[in-house]
Amino acid sequence: MKVPEESQGIGAALLPILEKLPVLSRYAKTRGWYYVISWLHRVTGIGLVIALMVHMVTLWSWQTPNVYYTGMNIPARPFFVFLAWILSLFVSFHALNGGRLILYELFGMRGDETMIRWTFGLSAAYAAMVGLLVILKNQRMSAFFFWLMMFFAGAVTAYVVDSRTARGRHSLFWKLQRISGSFLFITMPAYLLFAYLNPGLADGAQTVVVRLQNAFVRVVTLALAVSALYHAGYGLFSIMADYASSRTLRAGVTALIAVVIAVLTVLAFRLILSV
Amino acid sequence: MTKTYSLTLTIKRYDPDRSARWFQTYRLDSGPILRFVDLFRRINVEQDATLAWASSCEHAQCGSCSVNVNGRPMLACELLVENAVTLFGTTVFKIAPVSVAPVIRDLVVDWEKAYERVHRAKPYLIKPKELPPGMTEHRISPQELARYEEATRCINCFCCAEACISGNRTFIGPNAAMAGIVRMMDSREKEKEERLDLLYSEEGIYRCHTSKACSHVCPKQIDVAHFIALAKEGAF
Repeated sequence: MKVPEESQGIGAALLPILEKLPVLSRYAKTRGWYYVISWLHRVTGIGLVIALMVHMVTLWSWQTPNVYYTGMNIPARPFFVFLAWILSLFVSFHALNGGRLILYELFGMRGDETMIRWTFGLSAAYAAMVGLLVILKNQRMSAFFFWLMMFFAGAVTAYVVDSRTARGRHSLFWKLQRISGSFLFITMPAYLLFAYLNPGLADGAQTVVVRLQNAFVRVVTLALAVSALYHAGYGLFSIMADYASSRTLRAGVTALIAVVIAVLTVLAFRLILSV
Repeated sequence: MTKTYSLTLTIKRYDPDRSARWFQTYRLDSGPILRFVDLFRRINVEQDATLAWASSCEHAQCGSCSVNVNGRPMLACELLVENAVTLFGTTVFKIAPVSVAPVIRDLVVDWEKAYERVHRAKPYLIKPKELPPGMTEHRISPQELARYEEATRCINCFCCAEACISGNRTFIGPNAAMAGIVRMMDSREKEKEERLDLLYSEEGIYRCHTSKACSHVCPKQIDVAHFIALAKEGAF
């Protein structure tokens, strides 16, 4: 029998670090590194769903300029700046690991160990870049130009994944999860980055209003919101479906998720179109 | 001189007559190349005749001795004491039955229940192709066989299903899914629709999240995740 231990690849480099962590070490040893990463994908995904809900409900409640102006003092506090930076780590890890899974599952790329290194490396690089912009606070970029580039890149990525999923007889919901994920792979880190590229702009309600009155930016924001909400909804359904063996429970929770996502989608449309 | 290990085995027990569950600790000294089934046998002989466990071939071919050792599903018949000590870095082991099927007693589970999933995947040729004219057998080229030969090593020990991040409540399981996939890769099989219906159902590949725990724990070193990914890729 082959001694079942991680003797090469990512295990050789990262397992000694994991072994020092009390909970992760057990799972890294008994289920493997990718299992731990899958759980991290779930945890960051749930964290992002919560962040998305808080973000949307907060913006919904800050619709008048005075409330918006007062409210924007809260995320400027150091603790919330730190939380937002943590969020950038969640976004980059979830996006890059999702990208790795799509490459593995749909494009036959089995060089997972290399992709994991890139996932962690690029996540750290992205978080460092966001951190730098948070500290500098003086970078500016045209909203139209930025979103034109990002939307184009996101749409092309989504198209490539869409053409790939057409090969199998997958369910439409599953396909849409991969397609929305590939679109968000580009646009969600971009959304977070944009807030720090134009830190002054987010403070003024009037500037946000002017930006969203641009038809293209409005379409992009809507596409981003719809993709994020669909991806969040299917992600939650997918986790629930692993555990709920009762048909009634599964149908009930599915309906609940669908209603919450539908309400948030309506909220997003009203929020973006009312500007 | 042969090294001796002082082992502590904490085993999850279940008595169906009293519906009682508890952990029981056994201490024993062992040489390095005793297997865990040998340890169970020694416990029966030397300490506790009531401990129930299962094994059949004891050559890693039947899969009936799968148990969780310190949370990792493994075959007790091929796990040597020295390998276990190396792997877990301890001489203290917690042993529990696998959860893929109801426990009958102690470490013995109802394998028939677990096998129901594999039966549903029909691990045989449903509709074999007709023999080519003048031939008495089908011929498969070595190149063609190489694509799926690895998967034919599966012994249905259910270690993969036990380790899977999706659990085993709603997923048919990695081994059952692979059993269907490997038959679709077999050029002798004509029936694909029935297999695809199961694979692309909510209990099929959509429950797989590519955590690759199946490949990690497989005692036969089969890259189970690779075969499931082929179905996601639309290779059939």
